Formats: sequence, structure tokens, C-alpha cells
Amino acid sequence: METTKSSKTKTILAGVVPVIILAAMVAYLFGPSSDLLNFGVSLPEITIERIDFVDSEIQVVVRNTGPIDVSIAQADVNDRIHPAAIEPDKYLSRFEAATVRIPFEWNEAEPYEIGLTVQDGTRFSQSVAAAAPAMKPSVELASYFAVIGTYVGIIPVMIGLLWLPFIAKLSPTKYKFFLAITVGLLLFLGIDAVEEGLEISSERLAGSFNGQLLVATVVVCSFIGLYYASEKLVSRASGKITKSVAIALMVSIGIGLHNLGEGLAIGAAIGLGEVALSTFLIIGFTIHNTTEGLAIAAPMARQKPMIAKLAAMGLIAGAPAIFGAWIGGFQYSPIYTIIFLAIGAGAIFQVVVSIMGWMRQDEKGLLSAPIAAGIAVGMIVMYLTSILV
Amino acid sequence: MKAFSKMISILVVTTIVATLYFVYPNASDAKNEEKRFLTHTGAVIQTTGDILDPVYTAQTVEFDPGKYLREFSYGRVSTLEDGRTLREFTIIANDDKIMEISPGVFYNAWTFNGTVPGPTIRATEGDLVRIKFINEGSKLHTIHFHGIHAAEMDGVFEPVGGGGGQFTYEFEAGPVGVHPYHCHIMPLEEHISHGLYGAYIVDPKVPRKQADEMVMILNGFDTDFDTENNFYAANTIPFYYQHHPIQINANELIRVYVINILEFDQINNFHLHGNLYDYYPSGTYSVPSQYTDMITLSQGERGIMEFTYTYHGKYLFHAHKTEFAEKGWTGLFLVKEPEA
Repeated sequence: METTKSSKTKTILAGVVPVIILAAMVAYLFGPSSDLLNFGVSLPEITIERIDFVDSEIQVVVRNTGPIDVSIAQADVNDRIHPAAIEPDKYLSRFEAATVRIPFEWNEAEPYEIGLTVQDGTRFSQSVAAAAPAMKPSVELASYFAVIGTYVGIIPVMIGLLWLPFIAKLSPTKYKFFLAITVGLLLFLGIDAVEEGLEISSERLAGSFNGQLLVATVVVCSFIGLYYASEKLVSRASGKITKSVAIALMVSIGIGLHNLGEGLAIGAAIGLGEVALSTFLIIGFTIHNTTEGLAIAAPMARQKPMIAKLAAMGLIAGAPAIFGAWIGGFQYSPIYTIIFLAIGAGAIFQVVVSIMGWMRQDEKGLLSAPIAAGIAVGMIVMYLTSILV
Repeated sequence: MKAFSKMISILVVTTIVATLYFVYPNASDAKNEEKRFLTHTGAVIQTTGDILDPVYTAQTVEFDPGKYLREFSYGRVSTLEDGRTLREFTIIANDDKIMEISPGVFYNAWTFNGTVPGPTIRATEGDLVRIKFINEGSKLHTIHFHGIHAAEMDGVFEPVGGGGGQFTYEFEAGPVGVHPYHCHIMPLEEHISHGLYGAYIVDPKVPRKQADEMVMILNGFDTDFDTENNFYAANTIPFYYQHHPIQINANELIRVYVINILEFDQINNFHLHGNLYDYYPSGTYSVPSQYTDMITLSQGERGIMEFTYTYHGKYLFHAHKTEFAEKGWTGLFLVKEPEA
């Protein structure tokens, strides 16, 4: 007993020693030798993360995203200096954020550029395409977003699910073709989510957050996590939940996460005054997302019809669009959006792997014409409908 | 297995906390003390945070536009054998000074005698002006005076080395008027925009009418080096005279020596509220060319404005290029009741 305890202590010690040495090294570099390592000139950098238009005031959230502490000296609107307030204070250490309040009688729907000048006279700016009153959570607005979420998320997925009886009557080869279409659709959605995440990270996230690597990290973690969870789910699948139901469930969770990201993007776009959500755009999303219903329906097609389960999966896949729109519209944060999009992408890639694994169980494996054609068709259909959005 | 799931849950909690920190960064260290400030349109705003406003208070001024306005340097005066007056000046150039040119904004100003603009050199027509120039900067500098002088006194082909290099400029004051002086080392734009300039006034032998005299150098600063000015001003500090109005008397003649040295922008101008002024381009003729409330000046153009206010109260003066006005080139005259 004694010996095992001491050997355990030794193990822990062996694990901890490098950490202690590293900590000492960091402390040394920051402390006594910090002057030695200061080559070059460190330039201040700030990022304007959010601009809200409220009553007679423009509110700006700014973050220090540079290598050194900064102090904000001045605010301007359209490059004209205006007295302003900054809360909690004008000194921002690394990664610290503050809110700048600029009293300003802004005009709705006009573009504005907000600039902030730091202590060395460098001006940083961010533009808004069209000023729109900041959305304060209200029942009216919440229900408006809910309606949009329903149109964009739930309804199209439900419509897509109606393909189930059609798919159920297909021959095995044709069925495989439709499953492969699902794979194509999902691949497209996954790539789309990654692309969207990268776009937001380059447009709205400061370089110091390593947005691209954030996307990569979250995609991989989400993939691994869901892969593990789905293996558990599928291996335990018996009786009530069959393997195909388990896969369909995973598909709907993946699509749900994707729609959450989509809802976030829509809500944020409205909130940031970037688009007026037109009927055309809604129609685009509706058609585009109908294909997602197909993706859920396909794995279930060989089952006895289970209306309740199917409807539940439709909700899992579609309803997050509503939550996304709420979060995006009321409390937009680029980091949240990127994380959700990346989780969705990881989830979708996991589902793709699951379905492909499932299809491979057949004697012909993956190398068959219907599968190749299906994946291609899925991608192409998604691309064409994406043009509508 | 248990330890593993514990680790996972710790990881998840840490991630959530970190995310929340980034999303809601303002939750901590809120202050309760309320401060107030006025907007340019007069609205009163309250805040618990700091105020970002170009209001200069006496404590933070490194360069005092209030003092500069009416400060004239007549030099060390002596009489030459031929009866002429000799005026000797010393001007020291520096290029390492960090100056707060607007509240919270620090800029590497290049200076003559420690300030931007440099001292206002003043002499009477015919005086001998002798300027001992010492360059204590790290780069080459000169002083190029506008006016009439020998070619070798022009401050162009006689660069003065940094670290204590010297040169003595000597010329007879003339012609009558108001002239700029500035460094003439290439790149000229860099040396002027950093602040190496000042005013040089030559008075006529028969003095001008008694007046309340002041100098305004219209300038600006490109603090982010994108060849566009971030700040504009009369006498360096943006909005200074708006927050510290220039006090003048009603029914007293006011004479403003104005020089536009503004770099990067094509033009500048000067608009006076509630009044018009007689304008003497370059101050060289005794007859005004215009009676107006608005003159346009390109870089290096200058002149003398003369006016008298009848009614007391606050009157704006500013660039009628409103962009410049809204970036600092705005001031106020406070006309006081004549003392009984």
C-alpha cells in the first residue's frame, strides 16, 4: 500500500515538474529578462466588435486585440470628432473590452463609419451599411424571429420529410442513390458552415483570436465528441431505437446545429442592419433547407413509419433556427456564431462518416455508381439552391 | 472512467467560463461615480466611465495656445554702428519630443524652441535680424524664412546637421507683412507636418494702428501617417479656443496675423461669425483687398485680418471647410462689454 502510494506521488511529481519549470521560465521572461526580448515596435490594435444605434446615441463595443495596453483617446462618427463617454474606463489591457457611448442623432438606414483613436494617434474604424435601431428583446420581436426561424428551419425540414413514403418504395439501388444524395447534401452543409465560420472570423474577429484555428479546433472536437456519442448510441440501439433511427437522430442533431448557426447569421444580419430580410431570401432558405428533410428521411426509409419520431427529428433539426435568430438578433457575438457553426460542421461530418459506414455494409461497398452519382447530385442540388440565398 | 468524465466536465466548464468572459467582458470592475459632459450641441450626458472629449485643461497642456496667441518674440535688441537696430534670436530644433496634441493623443512633434508652432519672430522693417540656429535633433534641419534675403540665407542648400549643428541666418527685415518660416529639408512634407514652422512678422516703420494683436497658425496633425490629417486646429490644439474662448473687448480693433501651414490638404479657410474683417493678403499692402467673413488659403498663404466687434457675446470662428472645423479647427471669441 505504502509503495503504490509513493509511486503514485512520484508519477504525479514527474508530470508536474515540467509544468513548474515552464512556469518559472515564463515568470523569468516576463520579469527580469523582459527588456531583453523587446525587439521592434509593438503597435496598439483595437477591434470594434459591435455598433448599436440607440436613442440619440451610438454605442460601440471595442476590445484591445493588440500586444500592448491601450488607452482610447477619442471617438468619431464618419471621421468627425465627437465628445463621447467610455465605460467602464478608457484604459484597456490586453483582451479587455469597453463600451463607447457617442451621443449622436443618427439617421435610420444611412451608412456610418465609427472611428476610435488610441493614444499614439492611430485611428481604427468599422462601418455599418445601414443604421438600424438596436433590437431590444420584446415579445413582438421574439415572435418575429420565431416566425422567420419557422419558415427557414422547421417548415422546410418537415416538407423534406414528406419524401419518406417515396423513398420507402424505392429499390435498394435507388435507395442507395438517395442515401448518397444525403451524403452530398450534408458534405455541402458542412463545408458551407466551415466557410461561413472562416468568413465571420476574418470579418468580425480580431486576428489575435486565431479565428481560423478556432474553427478547426471546434470542428475536430465536435466531430470526435459526436462520433464517440453516436457510436455509444448506435451500439446500444436495440428494440425501440434501431440503428437507422439512431443515425437519423444524429443527422437531425447535426442539421439542427447547422440551422442554429444559420439562424444566428440571419438574426445577426438583421441586428447589424446588414440586410433587410426579403421574402426572396426567405424563399431561398426554405427551398435550400427542404433538402435537409430528405437527409433525415433517407436513413429512416426502411423502417415502419414512425410519424411521432419523425416529427420530433424535424423539430430537432429545424427549431434551432429560431433560437439562433434570437441569439443572433439580440446578443450577437462573432465568437458564439463561429463556435456554433463549427460545432454544426463537425456534427455534420460525423453524420457523413456514419452514413457512409452504414452504406458500406452492403457487399458492393462504397464504390458503386448510385453512390458516386448520389453524392455528386447532392452537392450540385445544394449549390444550385444556395444561389437563391 | 470516472476521472475521465470529471476531466471532461472540468474542460467544458472552463470553456464556457472563458467564452462568457469574452462575450460579456464588461461585467467586472464597473465604477459608480457619475461624470457629466456636454456634447457639441449642448446636450448633457452622464456616464460612470471616462469622458472622451477634446477639452484641454491647464494641467495637461504642454503647449499653451492661450499664451502662444499673443506672445511675440522681439529678440535681444541692440543698435548697430550705422544706427540700425539688431535683433538677435536663438532657435533650437528638436525632433524627439512626444507631445500631447489632443487629450490622450501623443505625437512625436518636431519643434523649434520646444513648441509647435515655433516662436513668433517679430521685427520692424529695416532691422537686422540675426538668428542663431542650433539643431539638437537627430536629423538635418534648417530654417527657411519667407521674405527678402541673400540666397545663402534661404535655408535650403545649407543643411544643418543634428546633434548640435549650427548656422546663423542674417538678413534685413522685409518686406512688411506676415510670413511663415519653416524647415526646408526633404522630405519637406515630413518636416513641416511634424511641426517645424512658425510666424515671422515685419512691422512697418510707421507702426500700424494700436490693436489687440494675435497670431493664428492654421495647422493639423496626421497622427496615423496616412497622408490625411487626423486633427486640425488654429494653433495646434484641436478645439482649444472653443473650450477656452479668446477674450476680446467690444469696440477695440482686433488684428489677427493668420498663416495657413496645413500639410496634405489643398486649402484651408477662415470664417468669422457675426462680423466681417478687412483682409490684407500677406500684410504687405496697407489697403485691404477684401471686406469679408471668409477667406480661402492654400498652404503657405497668409495675411492680416482686422475687425471690431460692436456687440458682446460669444462668436465662433472656424474653417468653413466643415470637416476641418469638426476635427478641431474651431474657436470662440468672447466679446466683453467695454469697461466703463
